[in-house]
Amino acid sequence: MEDFYEVKVQEIKQLTPTIKSFTFISENTELPSFGAGSHITLHLPMGMRQYSLINNPLDMINEYEIAVKKTGHLESGSTYLHEDIYEGDVVKVSPPDNYFPLQMEGKHHVFFAAGIGITPFWSMMSYLRSLGESFELHYAVSGQDACPFYNEMNERYANQVTYYLMDRDSKTKKLKERLRELKVGTHVYICGPQSYMDFIVTYCRELGYPKKYIHEERFKARKLEHPTRFKVTIVNEKKTIQVNSNQSLLEALHDAGITIPSACRQGICGSCEVKVCNGEVLHNDTFLTANEKTDKMLTCVSRGKGHISIAVE
Amino acid sequence: MSVKAEQFPFPFTEDRYAYSNNSSLQKPARSVTMTDRYLEEIQLKRELLQANHQRCFRSLPLSLESQWEAMRRIFNELAENEPEHFSFEKRGNEYRFQNLLLGEEERFKYRDLSSIERQPLDIAGRHVQEDLIIMGDRHDGLFLEAGQLCFPSNWSLTFVLGMDFKSIHTPVPGITHKDFIGKVERFISRIRQNEAWERKNWSMTISNKLDTPLETYANWGKLRLQVTDENVGELVHLRVEVQRLLRLPLTNDILFTIHTYLLSLNDLIRNDLWLKRLYTTIQFLSDDIAEYKGIALYKNELMQFLEKTLSEKGISL
Repeated sequence: MEDFYEVKVQEIKQLTPTIKSFTFISENTELPSFGAGSHITLHLPMGMRQYSLINNPLDMINEYEIAVKKTGHLESGSTYLHEDIYEGDVVKVSPPDNYFPLQMEGKHHVFFAAGIGITPFWSMMSYLRSLGESFELHYAVSGQDACPFYNEMNERYANQVTYYLMDRDSKTKKLKERLRELKVGTHVYICGPQSYMDFIVTYCRELGYPKKYIHEERFKARKLEHPTRFKVTIVNEKKTIQVNSNQSLLEALHDAGITIPSACRQGICGSCEVKVCNGEVLHNDTFLTANEKTDKMLTCVSRGKGHISIAVE
Repeated sequence: MSVKAEQFPFPFTEDRYAYSNNSSLQKPARSVTMTDRYLEEIQLKRELLQANHQRCFRSLPLSLESQWEAMRRIFNELAENEPEHFSFEKRGNEYRFQNLLLGEEERFKYRDLSSIERQPLDIAGRHVQEDLIIMGDRHDGLFLEAGQLCFPSNWSLTFVLGMDFKSIHTPVPGITHKDFIGKVERFISRIRQNEAWERKNWSMTISNKLDTPLETYANWGKLRLQVTDENVGELVHLRVEVQRLLRLPLTNDILFTIHTYLLSLNDLIRNDLWLKRLYTTIQFLSDDIAEYKGIALYKNELMQFLEKTLSEKGISL
């Protein structure tokens, strides 16, 4: 697997007045396969942008498909894709990652989508359909015109889809009704604006629905795009060192003769953990829990802001 | 079945033994490797599967999708990396894998059980030297959901089928200290799709026997009592498992492969650095680890042998 691939825009479709789909292919390389719920990262002039893949992973030949809603901000990645990208253009993408996998042990899968949050579910539903698994979709969208796959959705998933086109109060009432009826073994997946996701998660908690059965799509930066330098005091070694913008804390510690265990160097194994005594930390790992992040950091990917102090074992 | 020293993955990088997450990212991501023992080991595997199928292959229904994915992945890897020995063609949903070394072929329709006579992992494992395990990545942790296991180092597939990651590792001494095993599980659950990580695990085996399952312990465990000062170099083998963890993208499960290598001490001590590192590692090994790795019964003979060899070679530590 490469760090990134150059892919060609094979097809662009206008799905709704504000949503376009993009199909990327590679003519000379085999693109890595992916699981339902995955996203790719596009390298755009304004930075890295992540978009869920919408194709059925079982039908993938050598293409990635995404659907993007134009947000209106002039500087945004979506405006760029909508206005400056044409069929035949070449774009750089990082290989797919999956922070939102299907839990295949689930007896039933319930998807809650709002707006463009439908995208990961489009891939999941076709995958589950291929496998003959049981699922349903609850889709809050402002109207038929705003729904990116309206006709296909009704043809393929007529018995699975419930639309929420009504006013806010009725919507809330109906969502709560459905959430109250969930049966044991059902996994819940949510993707949409933050307030929508918060509403569903909060209500599930009120109901006492088991936390590990609730899955939220959350995009997070894999690494800082513009790391800056910072100072670190290692309290138990009585040393203060500088970490330059082009090096990690782990490397700077090593250069200063302080060796700590390390392995993955991508913030997933936890080997290079140190205790944080003081200062603000920019966490870039996917290993530590929120609780652990209050006084720990992984030195291979996370950085300090200004001046921090740590303790090593 | 010993391997040539050049192909032996010597595991010690330092002079002391400590638990660590010693995994490294594989680029390119590989789950299987061939050595020049290929034909002998495949033959042994086939005999074991024939005689003890229940012991060597187990699966839960939930693992089937991952088994398909693992089989396709392994055949693809073989054909890509060893094109003179293997080929793999796809026509629509129909696949043909050819093993030229064995003069065999496997044909199947992807995800169509009626097109195969055995479960996919049970087919794939017959063409590689590795033992193959599927770890399901579930909402509440990792679970062993399928395996073709012919060369275990004193464990039982039947016993661990369906078991969670932490419980499987209960016999390892001190593994829960500072939640070490919990962190390893968390690490595995963070492995990105299509990525493969490798680590080495080691123990010692008497004779060059690859198949040492818990089920036949009565036959091979007692060999540890036969080690003497005279035969230690010939009998005792360093056993290294090259373990690889690959995230299967479609199913999001983990394919765990184990390639076992054996090297007799007589062959090992030809390499001065290896001799030195083995000696210091065994020297600092705690009693419970020595017991777990099966060394306790003949540790004295082993240490004397290594000390004698070091002094004969004039190597100072």
